[in-house]
Amino acid sequence: MRSVMTFALMTLRSLLRRRTIYGISMVLLLALFGIGQVPSFNVDSEGTFLLDFGLFGLEIGALLLAIGLAANIYPRDREQRTAMPLLAVPLSRGQYLMGRFIGAALVQAAAMLVGCIGLMLILVMHGHPIPSDLFPAALLLIVEGWFLLAVVFFFSFWTSPPLNAPLTIMLFVVSQMTVLQFVELFPQASGLMRFIRLILPHMDVFHIKDPIAHGMEIPSLYFLLAALYGLAYMGFMLAVALAVFRSRDLK
Amino acid sequence: MSEDPATGEEVAGDAVFPYFLYKSKGTDMTETPLSVSELTKVFRKSFGISSFKAIDSISFEVRKGEILGFLGPNGAGKTTTIKCILGLLSPTSGKARLWGSRPASLSVRRRLGYVPENPDYEDAFSPVEFLSMFAHMRKLPDDRKMHELLLDRVGLKGWESVRIRSFSKGMRQRLSLALALQPVPDLMIMDEPTGGLDPNARKEFRDIILEERDRGASIFLSSHLLSEVETICDRAVILAKGKKVTEGSLDDLLRVEEHYRIEYIDGWKTPEETRNAISVDAGNLQNTIDALRNEGRRIIGIDQEHRTLEDVFLSATGGGRR
Repeated sequence: MRSVMTFALMTLRSLLRRRTIYGISMVLLLALFGIGQVPSFNVDSEGTFLLDFGLFGLEIGALLLAIGLAANIYPRDREQRTAMPLLAVPLSRGQYLMGRFIGAALVQAAAMLVGCIGLMLILVMHGHPIPSDLFPAALLLIVEGWFLLAVVFFFSFWTSPPLNAPLTIMLFVVSQMTVLQFVELFPQASGLMRFIRLILPHMDVFHIKDPIAHGMEIPSLYFLLAALYGLAYMGFMLAVALAVFRSRDLK
Repeated sequence: MSEDPATGEEVAGDAVFPYFLYKSKGTDMTETPLSVSELTKVFRKSFGISSFKAIDSISFEVRKGEILGFLGPNGAGKTTTIKCILGLLSPTSGKARLWGSRPASLSVRRRLGYVPENPDYEDAFSPVEFLSMFAHMRKLPDDRKMHELLLDRVGLKGWESVRIRSFSKGMRQRLSLALALQPVPDLMIMDEPTGGLDPNARKEFRDIILEERDRGASIFLSSHLLSEVETICDRAVILAKGKKVTEGSLDDLLRVEEHYRIEYIDGWKTPEETRNAISVDAGNLQNTIDALRNEGRRIIGIDQEHRTLEDVFLSATGGGRR
């Protein structure tokens, strides 16, 4: 564990010294503040609008951060041969993956929290109350971001970064679809489509912006179960990513 | 000069490197450090339609306390062999064992030092930061003084806190040597460690390798520099086209049956006009001398012939092209 945490810290410091994270975070914050500047047709619905679009912005931010942070880590390590001295001597492949993942996950969580605080500031600046479920919703978005991070790591072990991004975005879009929406893509093969949808993740469980924006109360148990679902799927994706990584030769 | 942490005395940087503070745990020096048996690696390309055999059933071992030179022309399979030994590539068949264990075992890999070919590291860190992180990953004490001593030993004194971004290739190689030396390794695997270094730096590397051998470490040295291998290695393995073509101690490889070179001239001419030479083995030496004299030729010199490692290498690799 000491090796993993040391390597995670190294990854964290390395990512913080790159400009990517600051660029994506800045775009996210600007987008959130941009939403605050959009005039509302109805003063009564402004708070709903801000929450709805703000949480949507954070979700997209989680996706972009996952791609921006992780898509290039392993390909860069492989091409620049920086992985060789690490994997040849002190680290196993599992430790390498976990160290890289934890480092990137910490950066992503920090960026998402900053985004959430930004959204709260916008709400306060516009004179709207901060819903009690906003913070748990942000935590759920962090879990979603970690899951996406695991997906990006999985793709990074067998594709190039330019292919990784569209594949992750495609999975993100598809996993937000309901079974019916998914079957409608190819109604001729409805059985197959239902099966595929069954094994794909159901990221719609993280979709709670609408109830929060409309002031509906969400049971605490829902947050807990959704977070556990996300963490379990994240663990599954990391296990598959490790299996792929272990089977790869480091030429 | 630096201070010995044990005694507090001022000592020359690399003369008394305090190994006792850094010594890795679980050292069992009774087993063969590295054994490679029938190792084969086939790379499949184009979805398995075509394949390329990079190494073909090679076997050898590195014995305790020796320096084994690993030679071969470009593309002979040296780096592929090293990557199989380190677990970076999975062999198609055969096996590599470190102290009898699989290379994937972290406990044996922590006893290793590895100097890669063209080393590169995340350039946002300084050498001291790297040594500190590697110390944690290797479960060694993270002692800045030790890191500084190590960097001093490999010639990076004054560069301890400078980011690797500004390092030259040679300096990166020095850092990779420092990282390899950090665990006081029982086995060092070095892949072209001195390629691209200037002659002074090469000499420093060679001295450190010899110091490590004298300490009891085993060294597996892949190199193109035959003179270097000839100078420091105890034994050598030569690869060509992915196969082992010869192996032996340097003494055995360089030994030639007694051969003599006779230089002669025709009796009535000056040496500048007709200098000739023939090579004969010891058994025919006297007969040849007599025959030359009978033919009226004047013998101007007889020398014993010597073989260099380059002769052995070229003869074993057939000119060295794949």
